[in-house]
Amino acid sequence: MGQRTAPERTQPVAYLYIAPAFLLVIVFTLVSMGLSFYVSLHSWDPIRGHGQFVGASNYVRALVGENSVFWLALRNTAMYVAMSVVGVLITSLPLAMLCRKARYGQSLFRTLYFLPSITPMVVLSLVWLWLFDAWGKPLSSPRTALLAIAMLGVWQAAGYNMLLFLAGLSEIPQAFYDAARVDGASRWQEFRYVTIPLLRNTIIFVTVMVVIGAFQVFTQAYIMTRGGPERSTEVVALQVFKNAFSYAGQMGYASAMAWLLFAVLFVVIMIQMRVFRSQRTYDE
Amino acid sequence: MNPPAPTSRHRLLRLSSVVALLVMILGAIIMVYPYAYMVGSSLKTRKEFAGDKRSLIPARYQISEHAKHRRGEPSALDWEGADWPLLKNYRDALLYGHVDVFLLNSLLYAVVLTTVQLSINVLAAYAFARMNFRGKNVLFSILLATMMLPPAVLLIPRFIVIRELGLVDSFLGVVLPGFAGAFGVFLLRQFFLNIPSTLEDAARLDGCGTFGVLRHVILPLSKPVLITLGLFTFIAAWNSFIWPLVVLSDQTYYPLTVGLSLFREESGADWPRIFAASVMGSLPLIALFLVAQRYIIGGISLSGLKGQ
Repeated sequence: MGQRTAPERTQPVAYLYIAPAFLLVIVFTLVSMGLSFYVSLHSWDPIRGHGQFVGASNYVRALVGENSVFWLALRNTAMYVAMSVVGVLITSLPLAMLCRKARYGQSLFRTLYFLPSITPMVVLSLVWLWLFDAWGKPLSSPRTALLAIAMLGVWQAAGYNMLLFLAGLSEIPQAFYDAARVDGASRWQEFRYVTIPLLRNTIIFVTVMVVIGAFQVFTQAYIMTRGGPERSTEVVALQVFKNAFSYAGQMGYASAMAWLLFAVLFVVIMIQMRVFRSQRTYDE
Repeated sequence: MNPPAPTSRHRLLRLSSVVALLVMILGAIIMVYPYAYMVGSSLKTRKEFAGDKRSLIPARYQISEHAKHRRGEPSALDWEGADWPLLKNYRDALLYGHVDVFLLNSLLYAVVLTTVQLSINVLAAYAFARMNFRGKNVLFSILLATMMLPPAVLLIPRFIVIRELGLVDSFLGVVLPGFAGAFGVFLLRQFFLNIPSTLEDAARLDGCGTFGVLRHVILPLSKPVLITLGLFTFIAAWNSFIWPLVVLSDQTYYPLTVGLSLFREESGADWPRIFAASVMGSLPLIALFLVAQRYIIGGISLSGLKGQ
């Protein structure tokens, strides 16, 4: 930051430049979060004039309520997240390595694998609804429905993340592989002791982004299963949506669940960061 | 210490690159197959789709059915709708399914959202990168912190605000919350920081004010990053689903994604027509991608953006 013209002079006009962005952030993030917290402490919908203050009871109802589906939804969501992370990592990294190896068609592969990333998830869900129906009907069994939805998510994200890994791989200097080869490393050892450690940042980025995205999974479940069969694909975002916009008078309860989802996501990301930070790298 | 003989090593390399190529081709087929299925199904009649959900080619165009027909056996060519024109589902979707309106809405939302968001972000990023003001670091941290909030958490709060502003079921209600994008500010600021200040000084000597510097120095130099960011914003806006679903109930304002989900709910849904609408909803972005691939693929490593 040492290249500014006059570091000591302040320019009040700057506030004019940041005003539009901040006005929007204040209204649509800070104020709206405050409102949502306020709503979560009320029954019904306090801003619309009905409903009264109920303290934390919406939270209590979600966490320990007799008919609460929150834990079920959270468990399904967590399973979806786990399947997504594993699925994306075991497809996109090997695909990136294979793509570099393939002598022909690299740019064609990049294009084709990227297509699902630029197609609306609604469209993909509609198409896969029938593909699944035509091949084995996994969506109609409570044992396989969530897996099928996760497979769609992985299929959709594989190409995008393959490109991220390709970028990461291209930054590993060939000298590391040459050195490993001189030391007589096997292919597996090369992968384990050169590729993986030097891709650390990409792996962290991909993992964190997939976790954040997967925790909010909504479209596939909404379009394909609506949470069924037997609530096997009932995920938290779907529960929030149903309570807020489909069932009457549950806005406070839905807000409480959204806050709980945020809390869980926050904790998970903090844990991830800590785990990743504690691992050693070569460049330290 | 002796490396293996070059010939065997080379043979191994060649073999592994052939295997890699084969696996990549297999993967490409898995990637493209659903698109072929979508296009194939969009050309079928309802009866053809109901009769055979697996085939990629409508029965009335299958060679085997034509052979049966020639032998005088019953075939798909005897079915009602055997003279169904190739693109009739597309025509019907546009004429009777409001898909023309949905597509236009999607385009309008995406264009407006991209233009306004980019402008707002450029202004803020410029101030954060090249100006001095009190509270700069604190304000920037606040902006970054809002980036961490997941959309699923902001859904209800934003709906409440939009409702209180009286913007439910309106064009503005769909786009307004999307105008602020902290990620764009972050990305642009990084880019602006790397522009040498000597250029700025020269422009100032020529009589440029703060805005003049932005317009005549910073923006021309930032074209690639602006195009990349614009493309990602456009793609995300076109694909967005849950927010317009929540804020709209009047069909005249639906973007294509919400329109498609409405079709799916109709009992006795006309699936070939839905697939035709899906193809029309996917093509614009695919075309855009093919034209601007350089910017999109190049921009991926600096983006955490995803089309949801």
